[in-house]
Amino acid sequence: MILVNYIACIILIVLGFYVILTKKNILKIIIGMGLVDYGINLLIISIGFNPGGTAPIFTFSELRPESFFVDPVPQALTLTSIVIGACVTAMALSLVIKIKEKYGTLDADKVRRLNG
Amino acid sequence: MQHYPILSIVTLFLGAFLTVIFGSKNETVRKFIALVASSISLILVLMLIKPVMIENNVIQYWMGNWRPIHDWAIGIGLEVDSLGLFFGIIAVVTIFLSIVFSFRYTEKDSETDKYYVLFLMLSGSVLGLVFTGDLFNMFVMIEIMTFAAVGLTAFRNYQEGALEAALKYLVLGSIGSSLVLAGTITIYSQVHTLNMAQISALLFNNLTPSTLFAFALLLAGYSLKAFVVPFHPAAPDAYMSAPSSISMAFSGMVNKAGVYAIIRLVYVLYHAMSFKSIQLLLIIIGTITMFVGVTMALAQNDFKRLLAFHSISQIGYVITAVGVSTALGLTAGLYHALNHTLFKGLLFLTAGAVFYATGTTDLNKLGGLAKKMPQTAAVFLIGAFSISGLPPFNGFVSKWLVYQATYQANLAPVTIVALLVSVMTLASFIKVAQSIFFGQMPKEFENVKEVPLSMRIPMWIMAILCVLTGIFPNFVTKYLISPAVSAALNVGKYIDIMMGNGYAEKILGKPVEIPAVDYVLAGYWNPVAWLVLFALLLLAVTIVAVAGGFNTASLPVDGDDSKYEVFFGGEANEYSHVKGNDLFWGLKYDLRHYFGFMHDAHSGIINDYALWAIFTTTIFIVYIFLLVP
Amino acid sequence: MSNNRKVKDVIVKTAADLFTPIALVLGFYIILHGHLSPGGGFQGGVLVASAVILIYLGYGYSEVSKRFNMEFIKKNEALGAILFTVFGLAGILYGSVFFTNVFVGIGNVGDLISSGTIMFMNDSVGYKVLTGVGFLILLMIGLLAPDNEN
Repeated sequence: MILVNYIACIILIVLGFYVILTKKNILKIIIGMGLVDYGINLLIISIGFNPGGTAPIFTFSELRPESFFVDPVPQALTLTSIVIGACVTAMALSLVIKIKEKYGTLDADKVRRLNG
Repeated sequence: MQHYPILSIVTLFLGAFLTVIFGSKNETVRKFIALVASSISLILVLMLIKPVMIENNVIQYWMGNWRPIHDWAIGIGLEVDSLGLFFGIIAVVTIFLSIVFSFRYTEKDSETDKYYVLFLMLSGSVLGLVFTGDLFNMFVMIEIMTFAAVGLTAFRNYQEGALEAALKYLVLGSIGSSLVLAGTITIYSQVHTLNMAQISALLFNNLTPSTLFAFALLLAGYSLKAFVVPFHPAAPDAYMSAPSSISMAFSGMVNKAGVYAIIRLVYVLYHAMSFKSIQLLLIIIGTITMFVGVTMALAQNDFKRLLAFHSISQIGYVITAVGVSTALGLTAGLYHALNHTLFKGLLFLTAGAVFYATGTTDLNKLGGLAKKMPQTAAVFLIGAFSISGLPPFNGFVSKWLVYQATYQANLAPVTIVALLVSVMTLASFIKVAQSIFFGQMPKEFENVKEVPLSMRIPMWIMAILCVLTGIFPNFVTKYLISPAVSAALNVGKYIDIMMGNGYAEKILGKPVEIPAVDYVLAGYWNPVAWLVLFALLLLAVTIVAVAGGFNTASLPVDGDDSKYEVFFGGEANEYSHVKGNDLFWGLKYDLRHYFGFMHDAHSGIINDYALWAIFTTTIFIVYIFLLVP
Repeated sequence: MSNNRKVKDVIVKTAADLFTPIALVLGFYIILHGHLSPGGGFQGGVLVASAVILIYLGYGYSEVSKRFNMEFIKKNEALGAILFTVFGLAGILYGSVFFTNVFVGIGNVGDLISSGTIMFMNDSVGYKVLTGVGFLILLMIGLLAPDNEN
């Protein structure tokens, strides 16, 4: 089952890079960055997954001697990574709003006053 | 002493938050908070020099007292060894001087509270990056660094291209962060720990395809943060649009953070320097970086953009020297990293001073400012001589070490390229000096004044440091560079301190040998001899001048004689300034295909830049899989 | 779309009325119990901040800008960060290292106040996130607002 996760996250990352590389609309490039981020988050959470493991939280009465946890570290990492991804998106969007005001376009081919 | 590293980081972040609360109305309060936070941090880090650099201790610090249990790291740890502290010193000095410079420099900007908040966060994250002992913590810190840097790039958003530069930086930086994160997590999936000391122990002689893949990703990601060449195109845009004090911080510590991460990765984490192929990879990208950077700089017409390309080029020297991987090579690399911070910071500050005084950094509009701004011109010359590697300034020492290290490693072609790059660096600074400080002054700059004292002080401090590190290389090497070099090579100690005594030996099988640093012929020329030579030359020139040898009145120039005037289209031209564009046009014409190609390649389109980054990452992955056993 | 912006949609408004208290209560619950159950400061903070979007959807930008003081929110965000740092520094003040959990051993395991400073650190993160994300949303709504009114 876990193989599906890995395939899905590779697909997400590759799709994200594809969008970044080929789409000329800056908004779509930001969506591509988001896709890469989600793919990596899925990768992290899949790495920490143990089939049959319980949530890594201290609970009364539900713990049995034979039960085991999924790895809690990747979950913490994923949370951090999600927060950072959200911040990147927010920052990029605010830049896009400003660029739209200033340049009047979102075409990456036209937003290139600095070159050479 | 144990708490100094964490306190130096926390002070900066606390300063940032306090600025939001108390500094939003009052300019003085936010300056005060920024000054206090940066000086406390400076003092705390400088107080670490004695225990870490001289007594050769390594400070370990487990956050929340979560020490390793059964030889397995479970908490987040800070670990300050000489290598980290070396980059930490570079960072705090840059932070302090940049803050002092920006007091007057940003007075024309609105909303400077955001400036100080972002700057303090940038500083705190860089310090956190160099002091941490945790791989994921490094990722978090490098992300905070990228955010703050993007925000500061867009700070002067009324300027041409600032928003665009910020967006490019953000997109490329986020690709780099994704690569770093993917690499980090791939390592975690193999060794199930994030502590760098433990990873280093577990990965010794234990490379699997997964960890090699992670190595390629991490190397690419951190190279992007250090702006090594195929990843570089966001850098000149960002350096150019950001305020100069920020450009100084970018080249002084943001770049260096990437370099530090690369050194930590290849030397400590992966012990990768025993592989010839990885040495070669670093040398190749370093050489390409220095060459492309300097040739692009030759073709620029904006002062700060030119400096940005030089910054890239100098990072190439550092990477090349680090790739040579002998003790001498690493010494050269670290020495050049230190010098690069000093002279490039100084040059960016002079660019800021020129911008403050005239409102532009366009080489074709400026000219003749040396008469109006003599001190700025003087420190600019010191910086330009340093970066070009003229004795007795510091660039000479470290470049000499780079030449010697590459030559001794049987890499004569690299030495030749390095020499060539040095010559071209000098050439392009002749162009800058001619276009800004000498030549004829345009009429609109007649009322230009020297910049205020609080902006000159940081410039002079940097200039004096440039000269001092050039005249006393023995002291700098003994107290700063050698401890850092031996820390980078002595991986066993790094592991032992963090994980408990004997851990490294248990995992690695034997104590790791530290190669003795061989300083025979290590470029230690006698500075006093040079000083005497320069003094003699100065004396000779003075005597000749006093004796009337340069008497301009004896030249056959007559006020009425119009044949010595400049004519343009048949009429006398009263304004004939040689512009930045005009110098070296012959070189540019002869090599027009190369320059044209490079100009077209830096197209300014985000997609192209992202393509470069991803393509190079792919090459890294393929190279490492094919050539590393 | 731009023509009937003046007349607020009744369904959206009612839904906003209904869901705003739920978002607030759930968000604060998750922040407060972050140290005991899944979730924590960030998740709860984002939930609370989503109430801003609900109010915006229901009542439009003019109402939102009347209710919230941006400057005040910004300062409170910094206050959350400072509180977090101070709770971290409390470890050093009590003779141990940064981020050490002090005041442990009060209350029974599983109670709300049973975990020392980690709960307060969690709460200050929650406070920072709810003000921070709320500020972010307000800022973005403010940037887009002129488009809606035209």
